[in-house]
Amino acid sequence: MISPDKASRLQKAETMIRETNNLPTIPEIATRVSHLLDDPDVELDQVAEVILTDQVMASRVIKIVNSPMFRPMHEINSLKRALIYLGFRRIREIALTCSIIKTFEGKDGVFDIKTFWQHSFGVGIVAKIIAQRVRYPEIEKAYICGIVHDIGEVFLSSCLREEFQKIVDLIKGTCHSFAEAEMLMLGTTHCELGLCLAKKWNFPLEYCDVIENHHTPEDASFDPMLVAIINLADLFCSVRNLDYDNREWVSFNLAEEKSWEILQRFSPNFSDLDVERFCFELDERVAEIEELVLSIFEK
Amino acid sequence: MTLSESNFETLRDFIYNFCGMFFHTGRKYFLESRITRRMEARGIKDYPDYFKLLRSGSDSSGELKLLLTEITTNETCFFRNTQQIAALERQFLPELVETKKKIGFRKIRIWSAGSSSGEEAYTFAMLLLEKRATILKDWVIEIIGTDISEKVLVQAREGVYNNYSVRNMPELYRKKYFKEEAGGTFVLAPEAKKLVTFTSLNLYDDSRMVFMKSFDIIICSNVLIYFDTPAKSKIVQHYYNNLQPYGYFFLGQSESLHSVNDKFKTIHFPGGFAYKK
Repeated sequence: MISPDKASRLQKAETMIRETNNLPTIPEIATRVSHLLDDPDVELDQVAEVILTDQVMASRVIKIVNSPMFRPMHEINSLKRALIYLGFRRIREIALTCSIIKTFEGKDGVFDIKTFWQHSFGVGIVAKIIAQRVRYPEIEKAYICGIVHDIGEVFLSSCLREEFQKIVDLIKGTCHSFAEAEMLMLGTTHCELGLCLAKKWNFPLEYCDVIENHHTPEDASFDPMLVAIINLADLFCSVRNLDYDNREWVSFNLAEEKSWEILQRFSPNFSDLDVERFCFELDERVAEIEELVLSIFEK
Repeated sequence: MTLSESNFETLRDFIYNFCGMFFHTGRKYFLESRITRRMEARGIKDYPDYFKLLRSGSDSSGELKLLLTEITTNETCFFRNTQQIAALERQFLPELVETKKKIGFRKIRIWSAGSSSGEEAYTFAMLLLEKRATILKDWVIEIIGTDISEKVLVQAREGVYNNYSVRNMPELYRKKYFKEEAGGTFVLAPEAKKLVTFTSLNLYDDSRMVFMKSFDIIICSNVLIYFDTPAKSKIVQHYYNNLQPYGYFFLGQSESLHSVNDKFKTIHFPGGFAYKK
């Protein structure tokens, strides 16, 4: 049962998305790849052929395969080898990620788009680490969901610049979150806006769940463990220099976080985590994540 | 001598496990230079031999403590932990003031435990003086600095510093709270000085620790690293008992409370941790 507040936030978000003239569209390639992959008899060559029609996309797939997420034994230089390495299941996810990057390419808004992706890839990588620790079975899914969790925020930053600038100004120097300020100024948040976009782009259900509930993991309806992983990864990135250039002040009492509680339910040993050391080690990876994002944007 | 990646990691793990202090890779060269000094002092030529000495519990000279002293000497300065200061100004201090206002208690008490030559305690004094016109109007401010060494306490009470101590300080504070004298000497303004009381205290002395009562903020930066785990736990328990229910406890920027105390709750903020009851 959706609460009246939630329904009104969703309605507001739907209206805003409907009324946006320059609404980004997901490249046709992602849809074509997705359709191809729905056919159980599809050949790898057919998929490669479609992706190769966009050289930038093809090179991004290769870069992501060589990124810390997958880290093959030897560097992979061809698209076909990259696809073989990934396997059909992951191709869909990687193609989708590359498409979203392309969708917002060059759309620096209030945020520099690279800053946005640094946070997103940071959340992806930390989500992967947490997923491994709690033995979540689909590590790649956690990674990709980390990358796409804030699409509502990038939509606001690039498509509704004036409004979003006001939100950024409103939280400056305070302890308020983006979501709180968005609610105040727009009557909805990046979570509902992201959900509407994700539905419009036919994202899988679990992605929609993450995008909608990454700040409220207790409301997750499809995969609570996945949403909790992304929530926690997002929190850690926000306090360890993988945030949006200090625009939002994030502070949290870990013991009181719902995601912490949810993950301990699924994986009791998780409470033994040396959280401080985990954060110090995360600091060490910031430079690597920045490099990864720069390389993905290199033409 | 260059510290290889794997030797650095071995040493980092060792220091973290024994002292609770994490060395970021960015500080590798710093660590390398301080170790080299210690190895020269002990006449040791290679890292594995030195690590063996560090690990040997029977080492009566306490090489680990000597290395830690080498690492932390001259580390203190005004406005050292910028993230902690930002968190205090933006979140913790306004929160504390609001809570205390509600209970009608317009007094704030801060303890700098292991205050050394006083830079940390005086940084608090200046930060709070800046709030005198706003949130701390008509409040009583009490800052206590304690250290076991009489020598550093004398320095702290004097309030006279050199260029190196003020290297991180924002211009505003330097101009407002210091008189610069010939030879690069900085003399602290009396209004900041009089907010802080320095006193001698051994953190391991239970009979004295129990009387350090009712603090809103306790900060103990790079001090616990010198104690073994049971001693650390005992000292942190005193901090826990002596902190107000709404107060905050802070360690140094790269320190961890993991496996020392499980009562404190960890509050994460950008670039650091605070601990709360």
